[in-house]
Amino acid sequence: MEIKQTAIDGTLESSDIQITVSQGTAGVQIELTSDVAERFGTQIKATIAQIANDFQLENVKIKAVDQGALDCVIKARTITAIQRALQTSAEPAWEVL
Amino acid sequence: MVFKQDRLRRTMMFVPGNNAGMLKDAGIYGADSIMFDLEDAVSLAEKDSARTLVYEALKTVDYGDTELVVRVNGLDTEFVKADVLAMVKAGIDVIRIPKTENAAMIKEMESLVAEAEQRFGRPVGSTHIMAAIESAEGVLNVPAIAKASERMIGVALSAEDYTTDLQTHRYPDGKELEFARNMIIHAARAAHISAFDTVYTDVDNTQGLIDETEYIHQLGYDGKSVINPRQIPVINSVFEPTEAQVKNAQNVIAAIERAHQAGSGVISMNGQMVDRPVVLRAERVMKLAQASGIVDKEGHYIGK
Amino acid sequence: MNPEIRALNLQAEDSKRQWEDFLIGLGIQDFSDTEVSQLDQTLGLFSDGQLVATGSAAGNILKYVAVNHTDLESAGYFNRVVSALLTNLSQRGIFHVLVYTKPQYSLSFQRVGFQEIVHSETAAFLETGDTSISDYLAKLPHDSSGQAGAIVMNANPFTLGHRFLVEQAATQCDRVYVFVVSTNRSLFSAKERLDLVRAGTADLKNVIVVPGADYLVSYATFPAYFLSATTDKIVYQTTIDALIFKERIAPEIGIATRFLGTEPQSKTTDTYNQVLQRVLPPAVRVTVLPRKTAPDGQVISARVVRYAIKNDMIKSVQAIVPVSTYTFLNNHLEELQQRIKKGMKIDGN
Repeated sequence: MEIKQTAIDGTLESSDIQITVSQGTAGVQIELTSDVAERFGTQIKATIAQIANDFQLENVKIKAVDQGALDCVIKARTITAIQRALQTSAEPAWEVL
Repeated sequence: MVFKQDRLRRTMMFVPGNNAGMLKDAGIYGADSIMFDLEDAVSLAEKDSARTLVYEALKTVDYGDTELVVRVNGLDTEFVKADVLAMVKAGIDVIRIPKTENAAMIKEMESLVAEAEQRFGRPVGSTHIMAAIESAEGVLNVPAIAKASERMIGVALSAEDYTTDLQTHRYPDGKELEFARNMIIHAARAAHISAFDTVYTDVDNTQGLIDETEYIHQLGYDGKSVINPRQIPVINSVFEPTEAQVKNAQNVIAAIERAHQAGSGVISMNGQMVDRPVVLRAERVMKLAQASGIVDKEGHYIGK
Repeated sequence: MNPEIRALNLQAEDSKRQWEDFLIGLGIQDFSDTEVSQLDQTLGLFSDGQLVATGSAAGNILKYVAVNHTDLESAGYFNRVVSALLTNLSQRGIFHVLVYTKPQYSLSFQRVGFQEIVHSETAAFLETGDTSISDYLAKLPHDSSGQAGAIVMNANPFTLGHRFLVEQAATQCDRVYVFVVSTNRSLFSAKERLDLVRAGTADLKNVIVVPGADYLVSYATFPAYFLSATTDKIVYQTTIDALIFKERIAPEIGIATRFLGTEPQSKTTDTYNQVLQRVLPPAVRVTVLPRKTAPDGQVISARVVRYAIKNDMIKSVQAIVPVSTYTFLNNHLEELQQRIKKGMKIDGN
C-alpha cells in the first residue's frame, strides 16, 4: 500500500511512544529515539516493522520517539499512525489487529 | 455466570482511553471494575487512536479478575460502530452506553453487539451491556432501560450531565440527585442488576467522599464510579462489613452447612428458621469481607 | 492529579501577565511585539492552578518553551508541553518542526526526537518530523566535477542586479548554486520568487536554482527572545545561518566559494556579510561582488521594483528587470497591488 500523507500518533509522555509515518523511497526505514534503545531497540523496531509488513507497506519512513512504551502501545500507535497516513482511519484494520 | 448480581462492584475506575501510562497501570489499584473511556475523555481527533490503544491493551495487559468495561461513543456518532466491533473482538466484558434515554437505545446496542459477536466468532450473549443515565428522560425511563435486555448488568448515574439537564448543578448535600438515585436503585433491583453511583469529583475531600458513599451504601447501591485511584480504598472501607456482621454471616453459613449435611431443606439458627434473604445477605457479607481482606480463605475472621 | 494542558490566550491581559511573569522567573525577558505577535498558539501546563510549564509555536517553529524545574514532577512537564504542541501542529498538517534554543537545552530536545542541525556558542538549532536536512541535502543536484560556488538571495523579485551577481559567479566557477530563500514573508511568494529566478537564469547553463527550504531562511525571522539583552542579535542570527551553510550545505555539494553582493545601504546586511567572512573561511572562500548600477547611476534594487508596483509605474522598472520578471509584473500587477493594500510590507530586503 501507498502512504498518502504524513501522519502522527502517540505522545512524548511517559510509557507512550510517538510515531510519525511518512512517504519513503528505500523500503521500510525506522528511526528510533529511546533511552532504552541499547537494550530494547531491536525489539521495538521489530514490532514496528512487523506492523508495516502487515499493512504491506513497501516504502515508508517511520520515526519513533519512545518513552518506555509497552509492546501493545507501540503496536497501537503504529497501527493508528499508518491508518491515518493511508487515510483509512474510519474502519479499524481488522486484518492487522 | 458471575456477571449479574453476584459480582462485587464497589468501584468502577474511569481511565481515559488515550493515555498509555494510565492504561498500563489501571489494574494495580484494586478497582472491582475498570471503565476505559472512548467518549468524553477523548478528543474528536483522537477517537481512532484511543480505540486502537484500548484494543491492544485489552488483548495484552493482564488485568486479573477485574471486570473490564468500555464506554463507547454515543449511538448517534460516527464512531460507535467501529468502537463496538473493536471492543467485542478484544473480548470486553461490558459495553457502557453513554447518555441512555430509553429502552430502544439498549435494543440498538444489543443488535450492534450481537452483530460483532457473530462477526468475530465470540459466543453470542457473552458481551454485557450497562447504561449510563445522564438526563431527566433517562431517569424517567430507567425501569424499562434496566429490563431492556438479558445482557444488561447495571445502570449508572452520571450526575454532571444530569444536573445540567435539570438546570441545576451539584451541591455538597446531593439533594438534587435524590430522585434519580432512588429511581435508579429501584430499577436496578427490580431488574436484578447492579446500580452504580456517580463520581465524587472533589478528589481532595476525603470526608465528603466518605459521607456520600455511606449515603449510597445505605440506599442499596453496589458502588461508585471513581476518577482517581486514591478514592478506591476510601470507598472500599465504607463497604467493609463490621466484625459483628461477619460473625453473624459465618453463623448463617454454618447453619446452611448443617442443614445440607442433615439433608434438610429447612435452615435454622438459634431455633429460628433462616429464610432466603438472610442467606443472600450473609453470602454478600462474606464476599465483601473476603474482598476487604478481613477474613482468610477459609472464611475465618482475621480483622484488619 | 495529572497536570492539565490548556491553551493560553495571550490577548487576555491577565493570561498574558501570568505567562510573562512565569517566563521572567525563568530568565526570559523579551516580549517585544515582533516576537510575541508571531505566535499562533501558546499552551500552559497547570498543576493545582499553577502554571508549571509553557510552550508556543509560530508557524513550524517552537518558541518560549519553558519548564519550572523546581517542581519535583517537572521531569515529565517538558515532554508533555512539546508533545501537545507537536500534536496540535500535526492536526494543522505541520509535521516538520524547528526550534532555536540555548545550547544547554539541545539535549532535552534531542531526547524527544529532535536532531541538532548546528549550534553556536549562544544557540542551537534543531528539527524533528517527517523530513530533515539530510533529506534536503540528498535532493540537491549533486555534481562533483570542478569548482562550485553559491549565492543566497531572497529575490523579491528577481532583477538584473541579481542576474549580474549570478553571471559574475558563473564566470568564476564551474557551476553556481543559487539558493532562493523560502520564507513566505515577502511581497512575492516563495514559489513566485523561485520561478522568477529560474526563468531569469534559464540561459545560464551552469546555474542551478534551488529553494532554501527551512535551512537558508531569512535571518530576520530567527527568534531571539531567549538571548540576553547584551547579545548582538544580528550576530547570533547570522552566525547560525553561516554555520548551517558551512557545516551542512557546502560540504555536501562541494561549494568552495560563497558570493555576496556589496551592501552600501543596509547595516544589517553589512553585519551579515562580516559574519560570513569571519565564519566561512577557510572551508569556504568568500567573494564580494560589486552591485550593478542602473542607467541612472543608482544601484539596482528590488525595493525600487516593489515601489513601482505600489505606485502603478512598472514601466519605469522595465530596464532593470529581466523580460521574464517584467512579464510576470504585467500579468499579476493587480494581485500584487492587492497584497500591498492588505498590508504586505514592501520596505526591507
